[in-house]
Amino acid sequence: MWSGPGVSEEDKLDADQARSVLRRMLADARPHRRQVRGALLFVFLSVIGTLAGPVIVRAGIDHGIRAHHARALNLAVIAYIVVVAFNYVVGRQQFVYINRAGESFLRDLRLRVFHHLMRQSMAFFDTQKAGVLVARLTSDIESMAEIVQWGLLQFISASMLIVFAIGLLMVLSWELTLVVLLVFPLVIVASIRFQRQANAAYLTVRERVGSVLASLQEGLTGVRVIQGYAREREEIRRFKARNAELFAAHRHSVKISTWYFGVVELAGVVAVALVVGAGGWMVHRGNVSLGTITAFVLLLSSLFEPVQMLSQMYNSMQSAGAALHKLYGLIDTDPDVVESDHPIPLPAVGAIEVTDVGFTYTGSVSPALTGVSLSIEAGQRIALVGPTGAGKSTLAKLIARMYDPTGGSIVFGGVNLRDAAMADLRDRVAVVPQEGFLFSGTIRDNVRLARPSASDAEVDAAVAAIGADEHFARFEAGLDTEVRERGSRLSAGERQLVSLARAALVDPAVLVLDEATSNLDPGTEAEVESAMEHLMRNRTVVVVAHRLTTVRKADAIGVVDDGRLAEFGTHQELMAIPDGRYQTLARAWARSQPMVTEPGLSRASAERALESTP
Amino acid sequence: MRWNSNLAARADTCTLGGVIQSTALSMRESWKVLTRSLRDQRRGLGIAVLIGVVWSAAKIAVPRLTQLAIDRGIAKRGPLWGWALLIVLAGMVSGLFTALRRYAAFNESRELERRLRDRLYEHVIRLHIGYHDRAQTGQLMSRASSDMQQIQGFVVMIPLTVSNLVLVIGVVVVLIASQPMLAIIALSPLPLINLLSRRFSLKIHPTLVTVQQRQAQLATVVEESVTGVRVIKGFGAEDRQEALFTTEAEAIRTNSLNAARIRSAFLPGIDVLPALGQIAVLGIGGHRVLNGQMTIGELVAFNIYVALMIQPLRTIGMTVAFGQRAAAALVRVGEVLATNAEITSPDSPTALPAGPGGHVRFNGLRFGYDPDEPILDGFDLEVPAGQSVALVGATGSGKSTVARLLLRFYDPQAGSITLDGAELHNLDLDDLRHNVSVVFEDTFLFSDSVRANIAFARPDAPMADVERAAELAGAAEFVAALPEGYDSILGERGYSLSGGQRQRIAIARAILADPRVLILDDATSAVDPAKEHEIRDALATVMHGRTTIVIAHRPATIALADRVVLIDGGKVAASGPHQVLIDSNERYREVLAAWAARDAEETDDAPDAAQAVVG
Repeated sequence: MWSGPGVSEEDKLDADQARSVLRRMLADARPHRRQVRGALLFVFLSVIGTLAGPVIVRAGIDHGIRAHHARALNLAVIAYIVVVAFNYVVGRQQFVYINRAGESFLRDLRLRVFHHLMRQSMAFFDTQKAGVLVARLTSDIESMAEIVQWGLLQFISASMLIVFAIGLLMVLSWELTLVVLLVFPLVIVASIRFQRQANAAYLTVRERVGSVLASLQEGLTGVRVIQGYAREREEIRRFKARNAELFAAHRHSVKISTWYFGVVELAGVVAVALVVGAGGWMVHRGNVSLGTITAFVLLLSSLFEPVQMLSQMYNSMQSAGAALHKLYGLIDTDPDVVESDHPIPLPAVGAIEVTDVGFTYTGSVSPALTGVSLSIEAGQRIALVGPTGAGKSTLAKLIARMYDPTGGSIVFGGVNLRDAAMADLRDRVAVVPQEGFLFSGTIRDNVRLARPSASDAEVDAAVAAIGADEHFARFEAGLDTEVRERGSRLSAGERQLVSLARAALVDPAVLVLDEATSNLDPGTEAEVESAMEHLMRNRTVVVVAHRLTTVRKADAIGVVDDGRLAEFGTHQELMAIPDGRYQTLARAWARSQPMVTEPGLSRASAERALESTP
Repeated sequence: MRWNSNLAARADTCTLGGVIQSTALSMRESWKVLTRSLRDQRRGLGIAVLIGVVWSAAKIAVPRLTQLAIDRGIAKRGPLWGWALLIVLAGMVSGLFTALRRYAAFNESRELERRLRDRLYEHVIRLHIGYHDRAQTGQLMSRASSDMQQIQGFVVMIPLTVSNLVLVIGVVVVLIASQPMLAIIALSPLPLINLLSRRFSLKIHPTLVTVQQRQAQLATVVEESVTGVRVIKGFGAEDRQEALFTTEAEAIRTNSLNAARIRSAFLPGIDVLPALGQIAVLGIGGHRVLNGQMTIGELVAFNIYVALMIQPLRTIGMTVAFGQRAAAALVRVGEVLATNAEITSPDSPTALPAGPGGHVRFNGLRFGYDPDEPILDGFDLEVPAGQSVALVGATGSGKSTVARLLLRFYDPQAGSITLDGAELHNLDLDDLRHNVSVVFEDTFLFSDSVRANIAFARPDAPMADVERAAELAGAAEFVAALPEGYDSILGERGYSLSGGQRQRIAIARAILADPRVLILDDATSAVDPAKEHEIRDALATVMHGRTTIVIAHRPATIALADRVVLIDGGKVAASGPHQVLIDSNERYREVLAAWAARDAEETDDAPDAAQAVVG
């Protein structure tokens, strides 16, 4: 059954790219060169073994049967048995060698690409689509697996077989070979056309499979609207239309392979007829032996099958080459936030000095931050406020060295973050993002992520330190509860608790917190707040704040607006600025806040709340 | 299609949450699915088999003609080119029928796949919402993709296998007729090909599934590492992720090598078996030729025949393994098809009385998604035609459930709902749903044009109506700003709209449906407050003279309704004008205050609000 992965025009490699990919691939295969050599040797031996059979039959016929020489015939039979045994052994070995080499190559490639990916900076991940990166490491490498498992082997052995078979035929009778090769152009032209058309057809099939699945998914997720508006009939009609398109694409691709198989079959039989006709005439004239004719008939299959194989393999090889090219492209991207060559250890505690910092995101023209200067004493708590997109989160990320500033400097305890040892930095500064992102595994695994060497007791202690121990103890499996995909078993608040416990496990000097904007489930809301309070105690804290209560507890407040630090000072100081930005913001907050904090609700405050809603 | 099988592997590792039916039922159903599908295609499949018979005959003819050419033409120095011509003729027939045979087999199997997928979709899309609540989309997707693929892969083998059998039997007959002893000896290793192919297929399958599962797990690690990269960078957890990744990459390698080991154990053996037959031909046949009991042409023909049987025998072996996989797929598809829709139109539906109507009455309603935990219990509410009611309640109080019951997404466990005097379950479903429209809180837009999304209830609605509906819903302005206006494609491959814009499209959709009863289920929650008043004006126009149930919590939206109903504890706790409830009902104040607090925090981060604050 034919079905090679298709390669779209833009993915196709030109000759130079193909050559460079091949060169790098060979270089990468060097560690496994013994396996590669072994594989090549056994492929070679197996080709020899395959071709030996017809030659032995020829000898048996000519020297045994035609010469009425029973011993020669028996000798041929024994030789045949030896060759068959040889083929069996060689056949097994070639699988073993090629797969060892191939699978090790794939594993190395996977590890290298992933290692490289993990070293990339945040800026890299901002500009790349997650889906594309995932595809590189999964489907792109998997598309090569097929080639590595059997394709390469087939490709090499098919090519060798064609060359050697033609050579052998030439030796047996060059005249007859030339006659047989008359049908070859037909086969080659058919093969090339097939390969091209099959590629296009496969791409169409793939695209339409995608559209059928998209249509199906849409129907399933939108089923409530469809039924709600009694639109089932119309949607079924639409789905059937897509499905019919897929069927048409399938049918088209079958047609393409169909005539190709027919042509190859015909060419094979015509070749036999030519051997019989022309060969027989030559036998009559005494130019060739009957054994040679037989060998020719038997060898023809060694000639046609590999051609067919190659034309089917060509697309797979191309798509594997394209995939490899993309992977090398990824490996060639240098990480832009790197540890300095001479990293300086960081002091345990220290003040943070932000001096004239500017930052522009990759691919963006306007700067996210300009000329921000700020100093934070050890143990001080700073709240950053301001409108969305003003740059407060960016500033927080720079302090944690998720990015390097494009201008100015950030210094912790007298050491520029660019020169700091990475490991030290991660120990001193912990980041808690807005939403707790969980990885599959248990709660314990997720907390331990922050410090893989931590013992169970240390993880327990970290959870207890933020006061979340009781909450998780209520789970049947406690901290060993599997969180499922993306932590779907836990509520948003519980995920946030895990996220805070991670930071507690690091026990950092500096905590960078991005406060959640959306509401958490009422059950855990209070727990998350108290956990945050526990965590912030006795640390330098930079919090991107969304709540008035958080802002009020800060030692100093920075208002970030349009990439600049517009106001900086204590609550009282900022409230004193006439028409100040903070003042306006705080008033807006105040209007909506009392509802949350006061449990016993008066009628007046309820009405006030209602009025405040525009 | 690797990603398909991946999907399947992923899906198969999950449990079939609640959708699984009794196995005996599914076995019977899946058998019915196959026989019915095959019966639908019996003509095409029959033709495919006939083509296969001709193909076999031509394939068998070629070695036989070669034998005659060698014996009569070459060895006896008779005329040659006549034989060569006959061989070419046989080759033309065999070439043509090789093509036809493939085409017929694939065409029929793809056709069967298409029909079965159509059937599946038609069935699933009509199943009650309760089924969809429990079913996993991914599971149903793999029913329609990888399972269909497996069924198709088996069906295509049916005509191919029949003609392969004909070929094998034909060759055996021809060989035994000419040289019985030699035939038996030369053919004896061949059944092993069939046996080994089958064992190979069965043995390698679990290994390949394991490889796929590990690939899926590796994909999960990569996906989490990429989407969770902030956390990883924040804690310097790159090494941890790498360790996880390495485990999976090593497992893939180990399992792939296991698969290679299975391949190396079987495939060379399968390749070698026919050669054993050919050795017998040369040894035994050679001596028979020497003794004059056999011609040299026969010897050559024997050789070719033995080679000719390799491919058919291999595929027959594979067919068995394919069949087993297809059976499993059929059972899964059968399970879905065996699920009956629980909500259907009655056989003789009551017609809704003519006129605008819209009188709705809930009487002693009890309903819970889990019958043991009713959400509504003793729910009584009457909404006279043309009146509007605001439903207010805490999260999970059952407000949205009321809307869903009115659409008959579910049937109540007790009590009744009537529309203009008719019990809902006595009405034709389409009739009911044409007359009741809900704008859901989480709007769903189809990847289609804006126009088609608005004209969802009435695809043939004139453009003027679509534009009017969009105007009323406050969507006209941003739609006009889209590059292709109403023809702009929305959704994954098209333009993405903000939550508020999506809701306005959904409102326009409901307006165009022109229902007797309109339900707005928190329909303006994502519209930013600055714009909400525009829509509110529009809603007031639409609601005028129409029965409307507004599920809302913003006082301004509540104010649109003639009357407010507070749902608490599964029943109507209070009812009356907004101001009266505010004054008299403590619980009402609590519920509203909780919502207000929520709103206040959410709007903090809304860009419009923030700009208003700063600017």
